[in-house]
Amino acid sequence: MGTSNPSGGAAPKEEEDEEMEGADAAEEDKSQSDGSDSASDPAPFSEGEKVLAFHGPRIYEAKIQKAEVLAGRWKFFVHYLGWNKNWDEWVVASRLLKLTDENMRKQKDLTKDSQAQERSARSRLSQKPSKTDVKPEKEDAKNQGSKGKKRKSAPPNEEKEKKPQESPLMLQFPLTLKKQLLVKLPRSPNVDDILKKYLEYRTKKDGVINESVSEILKGLRSYFDKALPVLLLYSKEKSQYDEIVKEGVSPSTIYGAEHLLRLFVKLPELLAHVNLEEEAITKLQQKLLDLLKFLQKNQSLFFLSSYDTSKAAVKAE
Amino acid sequence: MVREEEQDGVSVHSPSQAPRSSASSLPKEQSQVDIELKLLQALEMYPPAKLQGIHRHFVLYGLIEYLQKCFERSFSADEVLQLLNQFFNLEMLKPDEEEMEIFQKEEEFSLPQILLVKEEE
Repeated sequence: MGTSNPSGGAAPKEEEDEEMEGADAAEEDKSQSDGSDSASDPAPFSEGEKVLAFHGPRIYEAKIQKAEVLAGRWKFFVHYLGWNKNWDEWVVASRLLKLTDENMRKQKDLTKDSQAQERSARSRLSQKPSKTDVKPEKEDAKNQGSKGKKRKSAPPNEEKEKKPQESPLMLQFPLTLKKQLLVKLPRSPNVDDILKKYLEYRTKKDGVINESVSEILKGLRSYFDKALPVLLLYSKEKSQYDEIVKEGVSPSTIYGAEHLLRLFVKLPELLAHVNLEEEAITKLQQKLLDLLKFLQKNQSLFFLSSYDTSKAAVKAE
Repeated sequence: MVREEEQDGVSVHSPSQAPRSSASSLPKEQSQVDIELKLLQALEMYPPAKLQGIHRHFVLYGLIEYLQKCFERSFSADEVLQLLNQFFNLEMLKPDEEEMEIFQKEEEFSLPQILLVKEEE
């Protein structure tokens, strides 16, 4: 709930579940209670009351839906304001605070603390804050008093693990974009290898060498070699390029499918200078699509399944 | 290699390879002229100067497609280049200097906005 800590939702819940299951037990451990929430005392909070509730490392605005004595203690079924009711849960009084100014300040402080913790935890995983950092931070900045935006029922750590989309164009981009990690170089197979393999595949299938396809592939290689250092790199990758690609070496012999895909993004711009006929363009698109499908079919061969975490530093080594 | 007799005003010299298949029913010179004419027309869209530049493969691709469409047979890249060689000294051609401008300005790669939006959904 607003934290990236996967156990954020689990810990308190477990505690409550245990107590729910133990509802028939005679005596409860009273070490947690402040004394005022035993069955004999009046309820410290009332139904319908707005309160502040601890959940994980943070405090959220909540509303008491029900107040009952369970297993000798007052328990409160709370709904966290702005959150899906799937998050509603039974809590003991010690989890709750009255909605006072002093307690609101406590909430702010805890929010800042846990945000800082999250940020440092994330930076241990990847050098740069990932794109997904933006969401929770923005939210909390906007809404000091409550959880604000309504969230879907899935806990936040699941939201991040989006399935890569089907098309090969999107296949590797989410990884590269979010984690900002470097591709280990040189790649094998490299762009050169891949294009050769594709030509072999095509020739076998057609039973004859397709002249158009040959020229297109040569054209792609030319574009790739010229475009890579100028148009196809994230700034983070530039120092790696300077280090690895020496004078006279073609990028198409160093880089692989991940960067080849980026060329496709730039192709329309580049081809605009060629003034191709309508029909030629259509045919070209078909052939490029065929190449993409070939990449997709062979993705386990051409694409990396993991990135180089040891070289995630921004500085060149 | 077969050298054909020179024809006045038609062509300076013939390509070393005769055009293939379907053109054989026509007099060679006639179909050769047709091809050459079509090629010269195509150059309106695909300036020969570009054949030395960074786009050369795609320009050549355009020419191949054009001729293939006109004559309903396949053309090889070599064939097209040889045809062109009759009219231009391809090696002497210089591409527009503007061409390399697209590779001059260094910019960081980024995904097009539309793909990014889909990702975040």
